[in-house]
Amino acid sequence: MTSRDRWLALFADEKPDRIPTDYWATDEVTARLQRELRCATKEELYCKLSIDGLTDIEAPKTVEHHPDDPEADIWGLRRAPINYGGGVYDEFANHPLADITTVEQVHAFKWPSADDRDYVQFARSLRDASRHRVIRAGDFEPFLLYCAMRGMEQAMMDLVTEPEIAQAALDHIFDYHYSVNQRLFELGKGQIDVTYVAEDLGGQTALLFSLAQIRKFILPNQKKMADLARSYGIHVFYHTDGAARDIIPDLINVTGIEVLNPIQWRCPGMERESLARDFGDRVIFHGAIDNQQTLPFGTTQDVRNEVLDNIRIFSGRRWICAPCHNLQPITPTANITTMYETIHEYGRL
Amino acid sequence: MEDLSKLYDAILVGNFKQAREVTEKALAEKVDPQTLVQKHMIPAMDEVGRRYEANEYFVPELLIAARAMKASLELIRPLLTARGDSFAGRVVIGTVKGDLHDIGKNLVAAMLEGAGFEVIDLGVDVSPEKFTSAIKERKANLVAMSALLTTTMSSMKNIIEAIKAAGLRNQVRVMIGGAPVTDKYAQEIGADGYSSNANGAVALARKLVAA
Repeated sequence: MTSRDRWLALFADEKPDRIPTDYWATDEVTARLQRELRCATKEELYCKLSIDGLTDIEAPKTVEHHPDDPEADIWGLRRAPINYGGGVYDEFANHPLADITTVEQVHAFKWPSADDRDYVQFARSLRDASRHRVIRAGDFEPFLLYCAMRGMEQAMMDLVTEPEIAQAALDHIFDYHYSVNQRLFELGKGQIDVTYVAEDLGGQTALLFSLAQIRKFILPNQKKMADLARSYGIHVFYHTDGAARDIIPDLINVTGIEVLNPIQWRCPGMERESLARDFGDRVIFHGAIDNQQTLPFGTTQDVRNEVLDNIRIFSGRRWICAPCHNLQPITPTANITTMYETIHEYGRL
Repeated sequence: MEDLSKLYDAILVGNFKQAREVTEKALAEKVDPQTLVQKHMIPAMDEVGRRYEANEYFVPELLIAARAMKASLELIRPLLTARGDSFAGRVVIGTVKGDLHDIGKNLVAAMLEGAGFEVIDLGVDVSPEKFTSAIKERKANLVAMSALLTTTMSSMKNIIEAIKAAGLRNQVRVMIGGAPVTDKYAQEIGADGYSSNANGAVALARKLVAA
């Protein structure tokens, strides 16, 4: 079986030859692994660690900056590199919607156009992509973007105090991504396997928002996006961090997700046994190797035990083995290789 | 006579304009500022915390309640300071070096203020030196620090070491929080306590200053 066959078998509810794997990491981690494991390319790294992974195909932007701010991206966001010790993150340096007080001002903001992407290049990349791995195109995570544009605290307060402003901005963000994805899906008809839909709905101990807020502001547009993907036969991969248990039924029944990532099982309500029992017949679990304690701070034996635990707990269910979110530079290389070696050794189905 | 229960209500539903108006009127009518804090503000924020724990309130409701509480406290605080009233404790708070993620820290700071603590917020990306000099200069008896990233979490240990090296460890109790932080980690690095959420942080702070 190829890596792609392995993933697609899960989508078809068939048994692959082994538990599929995926890889999420910061650029610093990937560079370090390549150096230490003597892999010239990421593809070599994937082969060496038997990572199935997926291939991301993008339509490059033809316009890089906001018309009113040459230093900002198309959303009017400026970034500043922040060194967190061991790596660098780009943090947002401004919030272009911070001072907006009316819906009219939201509409007057110069929103980006789906025309400003290079779809010819997208089609070329898609044509040239190996069919060895699952192909992913399109993404959608509107509230995260709204938080960046508005400022996180104001964005969250808006759900109670300025619902019209939040809705108007979220709809603009949706319109852009819907148009982009529609063109990608049309151009890639029959060739795209997976699309990403995401929103971080869970905190470390509970949902960040009420069910009513999620159902009002998040789910309707998510459902439209997922419906679009489905109409092209594209599978919906969903990401939400944290303790998201209470919203999972909606994600399955309303949005219609097929893959749930990252399964932060140490968070209350996200215990693997109960998720496998209650939702395992309807979603594929993706992740579930803890990235807050086990991978960064555990021993190789802890990592090995966790992989073996997951094999047992998700037995008879569908699971793609991956770290819960991006591997961070603090994570020892031995823990990362142990994760992939263990699943390779014991993941045969 | 201003109906002071309106301050409680305004904080609970996050109406900052009403919180400010009620406070202004009450102070103009010479209501004792401590009465506003002890009888109305703290009970309101306690109820906000209870609703959060009970999954009736979520982060948006916490934020707007905190904003309303602050709108009132901004008017009250100068009066308390001017007459030298004591607070429940004096907390120096910040996110650790390299970490800019501050929503959790801001919520903890607000809940502590709402519980009657004096909060000195050092903001984000705070170095060990900044923590120690603030503790020293402001005579704090509590330090609260937060990290979201596993990569920055280890700074917490450095900060505690710096507090020790500056001879301030006996003066302050140290509490920590943030997504990857655990009770076990708090014990390992010699912190006095850990809380997984803003409401728990208030209970912890009360316990630490009472001990």
